[in-house]
Amino acid sequence: MNKLINFKIDGISVEAQKGETILTVARKNGIYIPTMCYISKTSPCASCRMCVVEASGMDGFVLSCNTPPVEGVEITTNSDALNHERTNIMKLYDVNHPLECGVCDKSGECDLQNKTLEFNVSRQHFSAKDQLRPLKEWGLINYEPSLCILCEKCVHVCNEVIGDDAIEVKFGGYSSTIIPKNSQTLDCTFCGECIAVCPVGALTSSSFRYRANAWELEKVPATCAHCSGGCPLEYETRHASLNGADEIFRVKNNFEFSTLCGAGRFGFDFDNRASKDEAAFAKALEALKNAKAIRFSSMITNEEAYILELLKEKLGVKLFNEDARKFAEFMKSYSSLSGKLHHSGSTDAIRSSDAVVVIGSRIATDNPAVRYALTTASKHNGAKILYAHPLEDVLMQNVITQMMKHEVGTEEGVLALLADAILKDADLPQEERAFFDALDFGYLYAETNIGEEEFELMIRSFARATKRTLVIGNDLMAHPRASNIAKLAALIEKYSDFALVVVPREVNTLGVSLINSLDVDEDIADVVGYNAKGSFVISSLEGANLASPALNQQEGTFVSIDNQLLPTNVALAFDGYTLNDLANALGIAQEQTIDYTPKLPVSAGFKSVAFDDLQNFLSPLGEDRRGYILDEIVCEADGEIEELDDMPEFNGTIIYQCDPVLQFNSYTQKAEQLPKESFLRGSAQFGVAAKISDGDKVEISFGATKIQREFKLDSDLKGTIALNPTFDISIDASRYRFEKSKIVRVVS
Amino acid sequence: MAKVYFSTWNGEFVNNINLPEEEWKESAYNLPAQYDSHRTSKAFIGWDGVALFDKDVDVIRLAMEYAAQYQEYSEACGRCAPGRWGGRILYDQLDKIARGEGSKADLDHLKEIGKSMQITSKCEIGKTVPNPILDIMEHFEETFLECINEQKPSVHYGESIAYIAKITAPCTDACPSHVDIPAYIEGVRDLRMDDSLMATRQTMPLAHVCGRVCPHPCEDACRRTNLDEPISIMSLKRLGADWETDHGYDFFHPLEKKPSNGKRVAVIGAGPAGLTTAYYLAADGVEVDVYEELPVLGGEVAVGVPEYRMPIGKYNKDIECVKDMGVNFIVNSKINADDMRRFESEYDATMVATGTRISKKVYCNNERAEIKGYWGAIDFLDKVNLYEKYGYKISKEDQEENLLTTDFVDLTGKVVVCVGGGFTSMDVVRCAIRANAKKVYMIYRRDEKTIIKNTTYEEYHEAVEEGVEFLFHSAVAEMVDEENLLKSLLIDKYELVPDPNGGRAELVKIEGASYVIEADYLIPAVSQSADLKLLPSEWEIEMTSWGTIKTNGKDYMTSRKGIFASGDCEYGPMTIVNAVGQAKRAASVMSRYLLTGEITLSDDEIMEDHLKKLRVYDKKEKITGWLKGVPRQHSQVLEVEDRKYNNKEVNLGFTQEEAMSEAERCMRCYYIAMVQA
Repeated sequence: MNKLINFKIDGISVEAQKGETILTVARKNGIYIPTMCYISKTSPCASCRMCVVEASGMDGFVLSCNTPPVEGVEITTNSDALNHERTNIMKLYDVNHPLECGVCDKSGECDLQNKTLEFNVSRQHFSAKDQLRPLKEWGLINYEPSLCILCEKCVHVCNEVIGDDAIEVKFGGYSSTIIPKNSQTLDCTFCGECIAVCPVGALTSSSFRYRANAWELEKVPATCAHCSGGCPLEYETRHASLNGADEIFRVKNNFEFSTLCGAGRFGFDFDNRASKDEAAFAKALEALKNAKAIRFSSMITNEEAYILELLKEKLGVKLFNEDARKFAEFMKSYSSLSGKLHHSGSTDAIRSSDAVVVIGSRIATDNPAVRYALTTASKHNGAKILYAHPLEDVLMQNVITQMMKHEVGTEEGVLALLADAILKDADLPQEERAFFDALDFGYLYAETNIGEEEFELMIRSFARATKRTLVIGNDLMAHPRASNIAKLAALIEKYSDFALVVVPREVNTLGVSLINSLDVDEDIADVVGYNAKGSFVISSLEGANLASPALNQQEGTFVSIDNQLLPTNVALAFDGYTLNDLANALGIAQEQTIDYTPKLPVSAGFKSVAFDDLQNFLSPLGEDRRGYILDEIVCEADGEIEELDDMPEFNGTIIYQCDPVLQFNSYTQKAEQLPKESFLRGSAQFGVAAKISDGDKVEISFGATKIQREFKLDSDLKGTIALNPTFDISIDASRYRFEKSKIVRVVS
Repeated sequence: MAKVYFSTWNGEFVNNINLPEEEWKESAYNLPAQYDSHRTSKAFIGWDGVALFDKDVDVIRLAMEYAAQYQEYSEACGRCAPGRWGGRILYDQLDKIARGEGSKADLDHLKEIGKSMQITSKCEIGKTVPNPILDIMEHFEETFLECINEQKPSVHYGESIAYIAKITAPCTDACPSHVDIPAYIEGVRDLRMDDSLMATRQTMPLAHVCGRVCPHPCEDACRRTNLDEPISIMSLKRLGADWETDHGYDFFHPLEKKPSNGKRVAVIGAGPAGLTTAYYLAADGVEVDVYEELPVLGGEVAVGVPEYRMPIGKYNKDIECVKDMGVNFIVNSKINADDMRRFESEYDATMVATGTRISKKVYCNNERAEIKGYWGAIDFLDKVNLYEKYGYKISKEDQEENLLTTDFVDLTGKVVVCVGGGFTSMDVVRCAIRANAKKVYMIYRRDEKTIIKNTTYEEYHEAVEEGVEFLFHSAVAEMVDEENLLKSLLIDKYELVPDPNGGRAELVKIEGASYVIEADYLIPAVSQSADLKLLPSEWEIEMTSWGTIKTNGKDYMTSRKGIFASGDCEYGPMTIVNAVGQAKRAASVMSRYLLTGEITLSDDEIMEDHLKKLRVYDKKEKITGWLKGVPRQHSQVLEVEDRKYNNKEVNLGFTQEEAMSEAERCMRCYYIAMVQA
């Protein structure tokens, strides 16, 4: 048991838990201590020295941000002496700070501005020689060193939360500056979190620069629509009537507690500007009436998905969504052994873990929220992280402690071996124990290409861990053996102390999988596509037969990877018709789409809460008060683990369907600022095997698909698997992500 | 004691201004009045005050240059607002006055900023830089006012004057390898393990080893002790190394390897001193061949220190790191005098780093090597470790010699008595426990307190927990054998008799208290001596009175030009960190010697030696600005039953949470010292 430490702050009795500092306890108790460099989600930067306090019995001032309290100490947060020193620090911060607030992006929300006012620094008291410090243009991010106060927040988040470790402080006293680490220019994943945490106008978004004043932007709290991470964000808009275009100017996040990737931050302009087209609306109704099926993507709110379910009943059509269907099937198998609907883990669980296994995902690009949680676990908890995949990922090297490189297609075997190692001493029912006893280890080690010693190493390195998590990625959902893999995952979760996180592919794959009864996709005529292919397409993207609103133009909810229902709001109005309008015209009457929020199926864990009753904020102490966590639903555990199938063989040139950094789908593709690199990336070895060279135009054939891409050599990659982006092509989500492919150089 | 013109060092006030030189009072401190053999110092300025050795010092310029050093030393500053801007303002204002453009308001600003820096800076460097500057401003106010009133430059403004500065810290000064300890702790605190590791490797390539088995003299000089308990400095070192190993990174070298300069060096011995010499010479572009007598690399740390204390897998990472710098190793190669003669022409210099591998005698009656059961500690540990770590089996011959029936050390049913009191003896008794001995005794002449002082608290208690019986105030008087087979030992008991005159207490034998214990083995681990037969006798290399190679302890060259010595064969049996420190210095000297033929020390090294003499740590200093009583973290240790009969690493190291808490306790006691020569 951890003993609480009792002490006083400004005469108030408070208590601290192990790991808490004087500052965190003060904040918890509503006591204000000024800071310039402190950020809750990282280790203390301890550079500003504003947070000094007095401690009874001690001479001098104590830094509150990195000092844990001791029993009985009496802390004073405010005195003339403290105020004098804090004021002097502010005077120093203001020395030679350019007086360009009138045009600075940060003006109006600048910590330096605020604290200068707070401490009433009305002129420059001290002088020092100014220095020439030119602007650095790093692509999406600009750095203005003359505005930088060297608080080091950017460096800390980049290293401790993001994991890019792409910037560092170049130490040199007064001429200290932030520089790209080990590189001439900034070489990173461009998450832009450094911009978010910058308390002044030093790090800014290059596209937002000089476009708007902070105070004239309206903030719309929403949920990011790009992946299943469910990250909170605020779209900042300015209405047309207020001197400007009706558009989203930028995206911001509550960086103190939450984090955004670059797609969330810079990929906000995917809204649909189409207006009402009555003829198209009539055609759409006709198409729906005649449809045999509706095909839709998981880039959809729960409410829309629910409307589609109602349409299915009403019109007697089939519903196609291979992504969500595969996920639902996976979870069904999982439930058949675990006896409950939802996986037990969450990104929070990952963040607090000290041992994690990640399998079946190129997680850094599949789901940046999970990557950041892993980075935090690695940095703050020293987590041991095992990454099982056929491909190394250079983005993950600084968090991974064990790369378990297995053969393509052998995931079922790998998971069985993992489960065997983890459950060696577990109290398993006879049947399950028999399953493990019967495993043909020699065969499995040979086919997966993982040695017994690798599992022993895992057990050894996990030995001291107290919180463990298993993260399962999308490679496994679409695997031919998905069902048994899900059961193996369920076994691990059920009979060990591992929490389980299953990573859904799209923003609302999880929600759809809980709401809709999906049919196996068939290549038939008369399919209405809703943000998907079809003979009649209703979509928020270009080329639709009927325009519909994008996800930043709708209110509604998603279900995130955390099994959390999250509200999102309208950042920009949509002038055309919505799915609800179509449903109304077809006799499914509700005034608004969000009228369906409380009707979402309770049997799947939803609560009967109206949209307008949902909270949507993070508390000042960082508690997530958005929407609700789905109720756990108990179900029958009537499944049985099956014998393993023979491991498949993948030879020749294999491609892996996986997006580059900052890209996920057609919406991120549409975003102006996001890079759209659509190369087939492979190693030199791949080039040799496929007889192609850097810069060659190639035709890639897999399944029934043929696409053309430029081949790019990537020195970070090894082996004969190349990476094929999917954001710019529609991909069949029912197919395993590794594909045997034929690659031919196109002679032009 | 030093002759000074003026001094405010450490609160003293020596003012000989306007006094004739013969009446000058001396300073109570070992201030560096003589910079090196051919230069006197004019002034010394540092964290604790200022000392002038000469009348003709431009004090305003001195203060300004000191502030400039604070700007220069990037590794230690620029990390906090008061230091970053304050330091610059100090410098700019002093420069303004020095060039004759100052005003009285500038003096007020200097005082105001100086005071704020003293109170709110992040590290001691920011807190202490204003100290001597404010001292100078106080005691030489008229000089300042003269420049301000007359708007004239200070006396030597703009002239070329040598100012030599050095950053130090009490812990760094106390560390024989002078590791930049605050920097590697800061790396842990900032969760930048690459920075942490590179800070260590600047002067200490064996980060895994010295993060595990260093007796950490630094912790005795930790300023945090003045407040509550010292920082757990050693344990924080291994984090960077473990991180690099865990993540499978290539080695983070703090220095880029220079292109080859065509010079060649032979290093004899691949222990800590040899490895260190090789690492830094190789980094300097020297081709290095390391000759090792044993079939394995690593010296005593490999074959002496047991696996449960220093896992060989981790040590091998340190060795690989040295290899990665581009060093050739030749094992199974015992160097003799002929080789040495040959090396003298084949190589441009030679480093002797052969350690001390002969176990000294106990000096009891009937102490004869022929008696079976009499087994030197070094050979005993060799046999244990070569098997446990590398799988080398014991030959039939050696089995017979040491009463073994198996090809590894199995002491089942045997009584083992070790005589010692240092680390080697601790390794012997704990290995004997792991070899399943029936009973293990440690015989030690002095008491429990002393054995803890000579080793560590943890080491002693872990041995007791594992079942070693310590017989204090005892010594072996006689070995009793039957036909050269050890049967028992006669043990004398001693007591500590205080000297009535207040001198050191003396150990006196208690008559009639002697007793006999049955014993199968007597393992002497009292000390070791060096085997230096490899030195050609005609070289007449000078030796110390205790049989090690003599150098001046600063440049590590022997009495023969081009032949250097470091580590235990120079110092006598000492610590790993001592060997590394010597070898690091020697490598630097050798590197210059190879190119110039001269034996020189760099300014940094000269300052290092001055500061060592002056002493950086002041155990009486009162600490302000830190909260007392934040507990020192202790890493988890395997339970006795989990460790007693195997070689699992006993100390599990800090968890990340413990490491971060411990790192936050570090007060970053950097200081700048500067000499005007």
